[in-house]
Amino acid sequence: MLLEVENIAVSFGKVAALRGISINVGKQSIVAIIGANGAGKSTTLRAISGLEKLQEGEIRFEGEAISNLPPDRIVGRGIAHVPEGRRVFPDLTVEENLRTGAFLRTDAEQTEADLRSVFESFPRLLERIGENAKTLSGGEQQMLAIGRALMAKPRLLLMDEPSMGLAPVVVDEIAVIIRKICAEGVPVVLVEQNAQMALRLADYAYVLETGTVALEGNADSLLDNDHVRAAYLGV
Amino acid sequence: MVELLAQTGLNAIYAAAYMSLIAVGLVLVFGVLGVINFAHGELFMIGAYVVVAIYADFQMPYVLAAAAALVFVGAVGILMERTMFGPLRDNPLGGLVASIGFLLILQALVSVQFGVRMEHVPPVTQDVIVISEKVRLPVQRLAVIIASIVFLSLLWIFLRKSKFGWALRASAQDREAASLQGISITRISIIAMFIGGALAGIAGALTAPLISVNPHMGHSVIVAAFIVIIVGGVGSLEGAVVASIAYAFVHTIITTFWDGVIADIVGLALMLAVLIIKPTGLFGTADRA
Repeated sequence: MLLEVENIAVSFGKVAALRGISINVGKQSIVAIIGANGAGKSTTLRAISGLEKLQEGEIRFEGEAISNLPPDRIVGRGIAHVPEGRRVFPDLTVEENLRTGAFLRTDAEQTEADLRSVFESFPRLLERIGENAKTLSGGEQQMLAIGRALMAKPRLLLMDEPSMGLAPVVVDEIAVIIRKICAEGVPVVLVEQNAQMALRLADYAYVLETGTVALEGNADSLLDNDHVRAAYLGV
Repeated sequence: MVELLAQTGLNAIYAAAYMSLIAVGLVLVFGVLGVINFAHGELFMIGAYVVVAIYADFQMPYVLAAAAALVFVGAVGILMERTMFGPLRDNPLGGLVASIGFLLILQALVSVQFGVRMEHVPPVTQDVIVISEKVRLPVQRLAVIIASIVFLSLLWIFLRKSKFGWALRASAQDREAASLQGISITRISIIAMFIGGALAGIAGALTAPLISVNPHMGHSVIVAAFIVIIVGGVGSLEGAVVASIAYAFVHTIITTFWDGVIADIVGLALMLAVLIIKPTGLFGTADRA
């Protein structure tokens, strides 16, 4: 397993956000985490990235414990995170945003090549290369956030609600991009409220309810599961 | 009248120059660490006292004293980060209170060492550029103006062109997102506190031969620096520089033609007006306010 999340617990003050969650991510796969608002989806990703302190449990990446390392060290291990709400740097240009993603890299030539390939994948970013990120549309900002994460040359990509607030046609574009990223060898953990999109993309999925894993299984089988259909797909 | 205006303009440029150095450092620290450093005015004061010690007392060259002030006060900034702002990272109010305590400690240490009376720093040069009979620019003031422009330009280039400069700006805009790019918040905070301290220190060193040096001199500049930051927009470095220049002109002109107290009142009134009309400051963006 590439990523092993074992029985982690996180709380905010007295409120338990995660109460013993276990998740595994293998190579070459898209793993979806779905659930209602407040179920703990984002908190799970934030715990993996070191943004939330674990009270219990352990997280291992490529066999090594990364629990409670600071976020910058976890990026250094090879995990990039596209945060909820995109969080691009509003007053940095598109190019500066992308280069910030490569902050820890020392392989200058390969970095330049990766920058070119990000612009190939997202031609609209190239058109706006010198503009401040705050002037971009929501879809463009999401592409910038994804491109920025790819600039770190990650071996695992965490994506938090990439479809949030985007028009359906843009959501489709993002879905294509996620497939492409995985096909190029970077596994993706996808947190989504849009369960339909997530389950169609993913190989395997976890359903979170009030801080625990309520259900897990192959994404196809969850699409047919009565509980999932009633609670998350609205059919 | 024209000559009086010209002289007042020169005075204002001088005031804007060193005020910008102080305000930019304070903005940078607030942006990156998310904490208001109330001891920033005392860092300015320490810079002046380094010149008192090295240049006035030990009679070493002035340039050496100024360089020492830059490095020493920058180091004091790092000390503040390591002992207060770092441990209180998730507690901005705690950081603010700690900085108020530190301010008192610095004032007390300086009072014990140097006494509370005004220090006399001998002039570095008495030369005056005589533009006309009533318009004169002392070379010392010109040096402050030039040095401020040089330091602000260096800062600008650092922030725009270097990797750590990007990292500083990114951290000021979104600290958590910056940490997700692999930027160490600890390291970037240390860099920000060094730069903020060094700029305040050099401002104190540059103005030491021109103003009254005493343990409480930080007080007046910190009030002006806060006005400038609020007018310019919290978190905006460009705004701080532009607002420094505007504030210095308004303040100097009113002081010259009316009175210094009225100038202070007008400064605070300007701040109030900006807060009412555009609460994010003239150059601030909504998401930082």
